[in-house]
Amino acid sequence: MNAAARFDPAAWLAARQMTPFPFQHEVWQAIAAGESGMLHATTGAGKTWAIWLGALAQLYREPDAPPRRGKLLAPPLTVLWLTPMRALASDTHKALLQPLEDAGLNWTLGIRTGDTPAGQRAAQQRRWPTALITTPESLTLLLARADAPEVFANVQMVVADEWHELIGNKRGVQVQLVLARLRQWNPALQTWGLSATLGNVAHAQDVLLAGPGRLVAGRLDKTLQVDTLLPANLERFPWAGHLGLKMLPQVVAEIDAASTSLVFLNTRSQTEIWYQAILAARPDWAGLIALHHGSLDREVRDWVEANLKNGQLKAAICTSSLDLGVDFHPVERVLQIGSPKGIARLLQRAGRSGHAPGRVSRITLVPTHSLELVESAAAQRAIAAYTVEGRTAPDKPLDVLVQHVVTVALGGGFVPAQLLAEVRSAPSYRTLTDAEWAWVLGFVRQGGEALTAYPEYHKVAPDEHGVWRVPDAQIARRHRMSIGTIVSDASMQVQYMGGKKLGTVEEGFIARLAPGDCFLFGGRLLELARVHDMTAYVRRATGNKPAVPRWNGGKMPLSTELADAMLAQFEAAARSEFAGPEMQCVAPLLQVQLAWSALPTRNSLLIETLHSREGTHLFIYPFAGRHAHLGLGSLIAWRLAQHQPMTFSIAVNDYGFELLTPTRFDPAPLLGAQLFGNHDLVHDVLASLNAGELAQRRFREIARIAGLVFQGFPGAPKSARQLQASSSLFYQVFRQHDPANLLLGQSEHEVLRQELDVARLDAALQRMATQRIQHVALARTSPFAFPLLVERFREKLSSEKLADRIARLLASLEKAAGGAAADPHDSVLFATQQPQPRRRSRVRKTGRPTRGPE
Amino acid sequence: MIMERMQDHMGAAGGSPALTIDVAGEMLQLLPERALYWARKAMLLVADAHFGKAAAFRALGQPVPHGTTASNLARLDLLLAAYPVRQLVFLGDLLHARHGRSTDMLAQLREWRARHAALQCVLIRGNHDQHAGDPPEELAMQVMSEPWLQPPFALCHEPDSEVPPGYYTLAGHVHPALQLAGPAFEHLRLPCFCFDHNVGLLPAFGAFTGTAQVHRQPGRRLFVIGDDTVWAVP
Repeated sequence: MNAAARFDPAAWLAARQMTPFPFQHEVWQAIAAGESGMLHATTGAGKTWAIWLGALAQLYREPDAPPRRGKLLAPPLTVLWLTPMRALASDTHKALLQPLEDAGLNWTLGIRTGDTPAGQRAAQQRRWPTALITTPESLTLLLARADAPEVFANVQMVVADEWHELIGNKRGVQVQLVLARLRQWNPALQTWGLSATLGNVAHAQDVLLAGPGRLVAGRLDKTLQVDTLLPANLERFPWAGHLGLKMLPQVVAEIDAASTSLVFLNTRSQTEIWYQAILAARPDWAGLIALHHGSLDREVRDWVEANLKNGQLKAAICTSSLDLGVDFHPVERVLQIGSPKGIARLLQRAGRSGHAPGRVSRITLVPTHSLELVESAAAQRAIAAYTVEGRTAPDKPLDVLVQHVVTVALGGGFVPAQLLAEVRSAPSYRTLTDAEWAWVLGFVRQGGEALTAYPEYHKVAPDEHGVWRVPDAQIARRHRMSIGTIVSDASMQVQYMGGKKLGTVEEGFIARLAPGDCFLFGGRLLELARVHDMTAYVRRATGNKPAVPRWNGGKMPLSTELADAMLAQFEAAARSEFAGPEMQCVAPLLQVQLAWSALPTRNSLLIETLHSREGTHLFIYPFAGRHAHLGLGSLIAWRLAQHQPMTFSIAVNDYGFELLTPTRFDPAPLLGAQLFGNHDLVHDVLASLNAGELAQRRFREIARIAGLVFQGFPGAPKSARQLQASSSLFYQVFRQHDPANLLLGQSEHEVLRQELDVARLDAALQRMATQRIQHVALARTSPFAFPLLVERFREKLSSEKLADRIARLLASLEKAAGGAAADPHDSVLFATQQPQPRRRSRVRKTGRPTRGPE
Repeated sequence: MIMERMQDHMGAAGGSPALTIDVAGEMLQLLPERALYWARKAMLLVADAHFGKAAAFRALGQPVPHGTTASNLARLDLLLAAYPVRQLVFLGDLLHARHGRSTDMLAQLREWRARHAALQCVLIRGNHDQHAGDPPEELAMQVMSEPWLQPPFALCHEPDSEVPPGYYTLAGHVHPALQLAGPAFEHLRLPCFCFDHNVGLLPAFGAFTGTAQVHRQPGRRLFVIGDDTVWAVP
């Protein structure tokens, strides 16, 4: 087909022997009418073309000017295509390019992400492509250009791909703010979203469009099959730390039977362990199976993706890094090892298989502990009933706004009153108050209202015309470096002594290792050689050294929908009904739980107590997901600690939480409405936060986004050394010297909303108020209590005086050292009773004394 | 013999606010204000004050509140009032960075110095001081390179500086802290003094500074600071 006056999508598809689906027609009509909208579907193809062909039909015009010197200039930047992952950009590019090339359209297409080489960026800056594929961060960076208004002057349409990935987080808020700005420049801007089906699509559409629009449901042509690999024999004690390697032979057999498989795990460290285990079981698969997770070097990931696409790989062991985007047609089987945590996620992962025509999408759950069998049965029930979780946009995060205001000041400057109206047009900031806005302006201008203005600090200041700009070039440069809202742990390069880079690993993990320690990374056992300038230098480990395990990750909470479906299964089990192979398999464990304790239901709250050498344990099972359990755990611990000074450690999982205190006490008389009521909920949770460390940890992310903690220029870690201070130090300094700082307030608010999931916590408390409390004093650890008992990651909460805690800890050290001091107050005297011979300093030949113990 | 005696004023909670210990034959008082007092010489030792760290952040566009310099100086004032100090020795890293030499912070330091005009001040040059430059004249600081020998001690910034044989090194730089752990997964991380056979480490004096963890080992004496009290670790 030659370039016509207009582009005709149906004709173009027909030329390729394809018939448009009704939903594609609907999208084209809506776009032609100048509408915005959202297209959603669980799985199924044709979404990208629905939008892109519609955009071409609407926006492409055959040039009427004859070519000048044989070359016709393409139109200026017209369409922005937002993708949540850099990795998707090149495949999107390929898909969008096809109609442009086939039809010989005079449009140019470019990619601009963090991976785009400098030369290509420079070329784009000379002449922007007609359509640009980019990420929220890179788009925000463009907005920070002084010539941003000219660059974006002709943008007619913005497409947000995989919007369900962005809506619920701060990156999505960043997109909202960018869109608000673009709509100022072009009020007729069309916005389209592509999304997986969510429980609340209407909200997702409203947040993206900030106005009316068309909601189009995509084609649902695929059937979905969910099944479970049943363990040969059941463990009666489910252990969360256990990695389910018992299932290895069965997993290997499944991989063997299929042409290409994706094996999903919930954390990066688990992918490493499984990759090693599978390779050990099948050495002949070396080169045929691969690892894929977010810490691996870009090149490695690209290689894996390319070989998945062309069917060269037998299996990829991956994390959520392969959840999104590109279709790998050869994939026949998807295995999910461990809990999928939610129904939407399960559907999404299942959709990665069965792309060949006529095939079904099938996902097989591999339980890593026995209770996941119940989860599996529950998930199948929920999918049959089509119960999918929703996602909600964050409520006016001030850190993102602080960042955006500086960005806008860089991108041509702003007049506060106009910018306020613009910001309020972004759905997340509809309720931004004048006082909050004044605080944001004060913060970017002089570091906050509560601070006295100091001369050395001026980030943004109004010029003589009242336009707020960034006067300092160095601050401008540093701001551009820190744009973004994804906060990970500080990460370190992992590099061979010879120089080859392997990827990145959390700094906190490396900090726990000593040179010579070994760890699994990128499918290899590595030995740490030394750490220098934020790089961990490693060599291949020789011999049979044990690897140091990594315990982070796996933060996603079990969804309410899935948890309720589980409770329904327990209720049936309590009536001795075990429907389906999963429930029959797990029946012996549930019977032990029933015999030694009880099963939780939607009508009864199970509480178990146990006394051990460690102290008093309290196990409570509200089935509200790990975040809400953290909040509940802190709250209940704080309320208990009001009765007498106590120190608690809190362990949580998705089913319940444990409170453990070294103090022996009988909690039974306290287990009443007073303990579980939702009276003074926010007050009590905030009070419990002050006694804990959560708000401080949340503050890290906020401090980073608001520009408090600067992560350094890439490749120049040294120059930033004077700027290194941990966010916990900031937190303490702010608390002490500027307690009214709204970022502190935000960190509390976010801890409440996200970390502790206060809405779900409130719902859980309301449900608990209607539930009958079933208290069981355990004679021994129950199957449900066991995984909590062995959980090593714990929050702390204390109402004891610091001095008392120190005295108690020193006394226990004393005891461990074999000292007789029973009274902690004797500890100092004890030291005087242990005379040690004073040794003469040993001197080396260099004349330098040696240090440390002899 | 190593002796650890309690100060005259006992701590309410069982630790003692300050602890006197024997190091290399000298009696040293470990103070909960994160400083060390050598009574025989009327010398107060302070490591890693990092004055101007908050200002350095502000200069580079990070909004850190005021008050850290003032609170550090207030703590020094308390110590100077409580002990008959003739000489105040900073074991390095007095000033944080060149960026941090704000006029405001230097004015506070000058004002503080004027109030203690009779006091002799000595700075052992540390890594940050090399970067930040020597303090201005009007602070009247005697600037020494490490080690500054005050027998039996070699006063240094970095603990592994070359010192002549027979000297015991007192140093900063590390910002030592100890993690105390007990049953029921309880643990606390506290700044500490750390004395090995030939080297003793002082905790960082500055309020706006981080810490590095040290560990218990045979022959090492550790003293943690918590709740305005110095505690001997068994």
